[in-house]
Amino acid sequence: MSLIIKDLKARVKDGAQILNGVSLEIPKGEVHAIMGPNGSGKSTLSKVLCGHPAYEVISGTAELDGQNLFAMSADERSRAGLFLAFQYPVEVPGVSNANFLRAALQARLPEGEELDAVQFYKTLRSTMAKLGMDTKFTSRAVNEGFSGGEKKRNDVLQMMMLNPTYAILDETDSGLDVDALRIVSDGVNAMRAPYRSFMIITHYKRLLDYIRPDVVHVLHRGRIVRTAGYEIVDEIEQKGFDFLKIEE
Amino acid sequence: MDDSTFQIDTRGEFAFPENHRFDAGYGLTDETIDYICDAKGEPDWVRRFRKDALKQFREMPMPTHWAPKEINALDFDKIRYYLAHGTAPYKDWEEVPEDVKRTFERLGVPEQERAFLAGVDAQYDSETAYNNMREELSKQGVIFVNSTEGLRDYEHIFRPWFGKVIPVNDNKFSALNHAAFSGGSFIYVPKGVKLNQPLQAYFRINSESMGQFERTLIIADEGAELMYMEGCTAPKYDSATLHSGVVELVALKGAKIQYVTVQNWATNVYNLVIQRGLAMEDAEIRWIDCNIGSGVTMKYPAVVLKGRRARGEVVSISLAHSGQLQDTGARMIHAAPETTSNIVAKSISIGEGRASYRGEVNILKGMKGCKNNTECDALLINHNSRTDTYPAISVHGNASAVQHEASVSQVDEEMLFYMQQRGLTRAQAMSLAVNGFINDLVQEFPMEYSVELRRLIDLQMEDSIG
Amino acid sequence: MNISESLNLEAAFAQAEADAQIRRALEQNAQRFAAAQLPNRYNEDWRFGKPAQFAEELAEMLAAREPVQAAIRIESGDGVHAERISPRDEDLKETLQLMPTIGSDYFLGLHVERFGTGCCIMLEPGAVVENPIVITYEVGAGLYTPSTFIMAGAGAKARIIEKHICRDGAAIFCARSIQLAEGADIAVELHESGAGVSKAFNITNIQSLGGHIRHLTMHNGHAWAREETVAEIAEADARGEIRLYSANKLSGRSVLDQHTKQVHHTGGAFSDLLYKNVVDDQATAIFAGNIYVAPAAHDTDAYQANRNMLLSEKAGIHSLPGLEILADRVKCSHGSASSPMDEEQLFYLTSRGVARRQAQLLVAEGFLSDVVNHFKQVDGAKELDMSSGN
Repeated sequence: MSLIIKDLKARVKDGAQILNGVSLEIPKGEVHAIMGPNGSGKSTLSKVLCGHPAYEVISGTAELDGQNLFAMSADERSRAGLFLAFQYPVEVPGVSNANFLRAALQARLPEGEELDAVQFYKTLRSTMAKLGMDTKFTSRAVNEGFSGGEKKRNDVLQMMMLNPTYAILDETDSGLDVDALRIVSDGVNAMRAPYRSFMIITHYKRLLDYIRPDVVHVLHRGRIVRTAGYEIVDEIEQKGFDFLKIEE
Repeated sequence: MDDSTFQIDTRGEFAFPENHRFDAGYGLTDETIDYICDAKGEPDWVRRFRKDALKQFREMPMPTHWAPKEINALDFDKIRYYLAHGTAPYKDWEEVPEDVKRTFERLGVPEQERAFLAGVDAQYDSETAYNNMREELSKQGVIFVNSTEGLRDYEHIFRPWFGKVIPVNDNKFSALNHAAFSGGSFIYVPKGVKLNQPLQAYFRINSESMGQFERTLIIADEGAELMYMEGCTAPKYDSATLHSGVVELVALKGAKIQYVTVQNWATNVYNLVIQRGLAMEDAEIRWIDCNIGSGVTMKYPAVVLKGRRARGEVVSISLAHSGQLQDTGARMIHAAPETTSNIVAKSISIGEGRASYRGEVNILKGMKGCKNNTECDALLINHNSRTDTYPAISVHGNASAVQHEASVSQVDEEMLFYMQQRGLTRAQAMSLAVNGFINDLVQEFPMEYSVELRRLIDLQMEDSIG
Repeated sequence: MNISESLNLEAAFAQAEADAQIRRALEQNAQRFAAAQLPNRYNEDWRFGKPAQFAEELAEMLAAREPVQAAIRIESGDGVHAERISPRDEDLKETLQLMPTIGSDYFLGLHVERFGTGCCIMLEPGAVVENPIVITYEVGAGLYTPSTFIMAGAGAKARIIEKHICRDGAAIFCARSIQLAEGADIAVELHESGAGVSKAFNITNIQSLGGHIRHLTMHNGHAWAREETVAEIAEADARGEIRLYSANKLSGRSVLDQHTKQVHHTGGAFSDLLYKNVVDDQATAIFAGNIYVAPAAHDTDAYQANRNMLLSEKAGIHSLPGLEILADRVKCSHGSASSPMDEEQLFYLTSRGVARRQAQLLVAEGFLSDVVNHFKQVDGAKELDMSSGN
């Protein structure tokens, strides 16, 4: 059981091609990091996997536990267990966090089955406590007027509530101060389990010190140019991405 | 999961066979008026008053500055002007005729009365079928009856204000209502009495080609406070149905009236209602207006700010689906100094629906220290939806401030994707986005209504996108 | 038949088809003028415009055909064909006949009947005219009915100033057509000045086929003036831009009645409007604007703002900013605000020793100069325009 991406090519709708044949496999239980310089296609990869309407797949496949991701709509992918923590979480004016999460959880239940509201609020409160979030967050509109750090934390809250089997964290560390970074990382680490895997997209070593990946992939010009263990992170930190480009 | 205590048939798309003892037939003539007056046993002054209004109705042109072209399709001769089971309302729920009772039970009226209302008036076609108010309120001198009873039993209070806020010749539909009115509420709240539970009216059209012309007058005496809510439904017929009510509010010194409407008529109903309130010194009138149903609605609740420091507010939500025109808005007439008014209107156009905001703000000559603030926001859901904004602002003198802002937007694709990524279907995501758009206004409705409102909007969104 | 002959034939067919279309349009227009009625109080486009007084006065002046004393002056430059028009300029007359109005077809019909005076400015493609082109119509007596045509070829750049000067009880009724080819970039100013009892009426039609225009009108001294400006983004590949500005100070009992339409026939274009009035004494300013975005004109940006400053107890304004949106992905907003002069600003100035009346003039000037600044430095003011629209 794993997330398998084969020779994935994709472009901005009616625009430039960004992914030029990405192949990688993330087995259940593992944490994989995707690193790469600006414009290498990291965010595009996450959005294409989740079905963002601004991108289109040219060729290649992506399978989630044997299911063809590209045959599913964005919400079907989510219900199949795929979660994306956005680089820039979106503001949804007027819709409260609690109602939004309830609706998202309700969508995962079989037809006719009602979410237990009492249990829901209990779980929500305790998860928020773990993330150091104020309870009045529940009644605030989703991400509206949140600081950058609050938005990221809110995305992690959603991840913990929705309990995905594959989670993609797209530059979740950007905009977080050290304390927030620790809280978010602790949340992610607590979720590490044999039945769940993570794809962590980041620029910096910083986050990977907190969430230790099993495998690191380096993305450059829309291709994976290197797959290695954690040790490569230090190498990149010292030498930058340039030394990898020469090998290409 | 649902906060609603009631499971109500919110769409009202069912009908029982007609069973009327009184039927004035099609068209409106002097004979029709005689028929209505005889049936109701009205005094001569009312009969003369009605006939005079009919004469004015015939002579007046259709409105121009205030009307969409669509109303010209209305044929006044194909409307039935008076249909009733009986002319006296029942005060005991058990006595109400079976089919009428079943109608209102399906619509949740008796449950709501038990749960949170101070009184109920339920109108079925032309006449009130059931009217009841909590006993302690009668003891405090509160009057809550239908318009026929009001004119008969409380002429000394009713008549001086009758047609004073909205005169017969205000416009063609005002004249029409003055000629054919039947049903509606007469409410009087004595000095200093504050109702802490709302009074509710329920308007039901059951018969085809029916014209419903309710007449409501609410007087809040000095320092009195009340909230009045009305709900409306009708089954869908092939021929057009007309609802053309007149609602007059009078808030005397320091009084406070809130008038809440949730309109969910079937889509063949012409909903042409005139609502206007008179706010005296330090008084406050708020119209909270939600239009979801009907084929064509023209409705611009107004406040005439007649006394110093009076306040007026209109909170308006409208939802226009394919085949619907929601021409709604507000009017604020500042006729006294230091008066303030506020208008917040949000509309949603879905499919080929068209929502228009039409408004008037007028600071009359010689007024000082008046303020108005207006915000109109429109949301377009599909690429063939339409929205219009037609405000008219007049300011006289250099001591008042008026501000109007309007915007048009679409549901952000990025936002929809975000919600879909969390597992919601596109329709659910859209529905949430729409709910979010009007969220701040829905909170202005009483709790029980806001839950219903959200359910209605969800239903509408599912129909169009799901 | 060789290739060039067949091409000639095709061109001839295309020309014949185009001519037939114009003929049909003109026939329809003849009916439009025949059916048009003198504006009355049921004419929505004359709401608040006192048609019973002003429309009838204008009609009387048109009917009376009093002797007119008027002069035209033109200052032109290189790359410009500037000519006085004569009654024989049939093409120009046709352009006039097809112009849209905002509630005044009746008057345009009468204007067309009097066609034959005014001026026509043609900018050659690519012409960059350094000095402003100045047109002056000066009316000494009677009602003068000139027409102004401005045609900017592709890529042409120029600044055009049109001055209308009326003495005593004289009046001017001008029909103006401005057409911009792709890449044209022009600034047009219309200065209206009167002598207290004079009157002015301008019917203006701007058509952008991918060109950019900034259009500014300023009124001073007429007893009554009406403007109908229809600015159209026509079907074109290039992104057209239309910016409409107006800045006016009204006093006495004068009435300024301004009507605008920003019509987006095609998508992806931009229009903005900023009309400001300072209204003193017993003067009245009317602004009725409309943004119309046609069903297929997706991705339109259109903004509209009307701001009024009222200086006296008997001054009045009517503001009707309208929107009609039938397309998708439209960014559109309008705003209208009317208020007295800001006492804080006045206090600040008076605390520095400026007399109150002088301070009022300064604040009013500042309020209006904002419009002129937008008009003059469009590059720097682009963002400002957006915010004023918002």
